[in-house]
Order: sequence, then C-alpha cells, then structure tokens
Amino acid sequence: MAITINGKAFRAKELVTFYGLTHHDVSKICSKLGFYPAMRVHQLNEQQILGITKELADLTIEADKRAIIRANIALKRSTGSYAGMRHALGLPVRGQRTKTNAKTARRLNRIERRGFATDARAAQGVNAIEQLNQHLQGGVFGGFKNFVKALF
Amino acid sequence: MRLTQALLSRSVWKGPHIVPLPIGQALKTGSPIRTNARSCTILPQFVGVKFQVHNGKEYVAFEVTEDMVGSKLGEFSPTRKRFSYTQTKNK
Repeated sequence: MAITINGKAFRAKELVTFYGLTHHDVSKICSKLGFYPAMRVHQLNEQQILGITKELADLTIEADKRAIIRANIALKRSTGSYAGMRHALGLPVRGQRTKTNAKTARRLNRIERRGFATDARAAQGVNAIEQLNQHLQGGVFGGFKNFVKALF
Repeated sequence: MRLTQALLSRSVWKGPHIVPLPIGQALKTGSPIRTNARSCTILPQFVGVKFQVHNGKEYVAFEVTEDMVGSKLGEFSPTRKRFSYTQTKNK
C-alpha cells in the first residue's frame, strides 16, 4: 500500500481513490484509528499510517475488487442472460435509454471490465506533486514552495 | 451490509413468483417445456429442465443451469434484434 505513504498530498478522507473503498469505509477507518478525515497524510504519524495500511489489508480493494466484479459479469455472460449480453454489447444493462446518452455504459461495459481509472488518477496525482517539487527545487519559485506545500 | 438491495425487488412474504409448470413431468421425460411465462422465477427445482420461452416471435430454447437460479425465464430469451443496416429493402 505504498500509495498511502507516497501520496502525501492526499487528505485522509481521500483514501477513497482506492478502487472499491467507500466514504463509509474511510470514515470508519478514521474513527477507529482516532483522527479527523480532513487531516493530511503528512500530518499523521508513522503509527497511524501503519494502522491505515493494516486496515486496508483486511478490505477487498483494487485488484481483488476488480476481479470480483469481472467474475460476476463473466458469470452473467456464461449463463447467456440478457444482462450478460448487454455487458458484451457495451450497452446499459438496466433498461436505460440508448437513443442518446448511455455514455457510462459505453465507457465501462465490456466483457473484461476495466473499472474506473482510479489507479491512473492516484498515480497522476502523485506524479504531479513530485514534478512540482522538482520544479520548485530549481529555485525560481523558491518562495512559492512553502505556499504550494501549504495548498496541498 | 446492504441486505435490502437484494430484497428491494419483491416483498419477502410473497415468496418467489411461481407459475404452475409441468416440471416433474419434464424432468422424467426430458421433453422441453414450451411456455410464454417469461416472468416466472427460476427455482432450484428447475435445474436441468429444458425450456422454450417465447420472445414475442418464436420460442427460444435453453437448458437451466445452477447459475440461472433466482433470475427469470425471460432473461434468457432476448426480445430485441440488433440493428444491422441493409442497403436494399428487398432482402
């Protein structure tokens, strides 16, 4: 769970960027470990971060969660049901209109569903901050550095 | 945690939607059941029975497997054809 520790910019409540983790789960973790959801990850001490990683290890998130969803869709497909067919066609499954819209279904509904791009987004966030830090170390925006740090 | 989601479709006290079908007979003889009852819930007793379910035009044949239990008969008999463009109408 390297993302938690690397992603210093995230507030604790933004752990939701993990695929399959709900706001409810996050608030439960926060209250269990005894800190505010609005706290930033760099404000937490080592023990609290270890606590978060321990809690996350017990939950089914990311790859495990995706595998479950994929298996569910594959089951529908293999039984030859209408829902499985709609997944394969990339169309809405639950009777929504298709004359217009149906954008979410077209994006998500595949036989091999990829899920939301949370991985990419989290990675992007971390990269952007690293880049910014490197950039700031150039010295031109030296005064800005603390300001930007405070922003995140 | 979200037990209600599974129940939201139908009240528990009603039980599953049952349609009288000659299941015992079909299991014995192995002959398919031809029916128009698309809304009939697939019960565990149906496993292994062959069905022919009406889709508005013809009877679509399929055999019930264990994974199908809990869904309706109509789910396995698609009612729409996918649009495919043809240049001439005389086809």
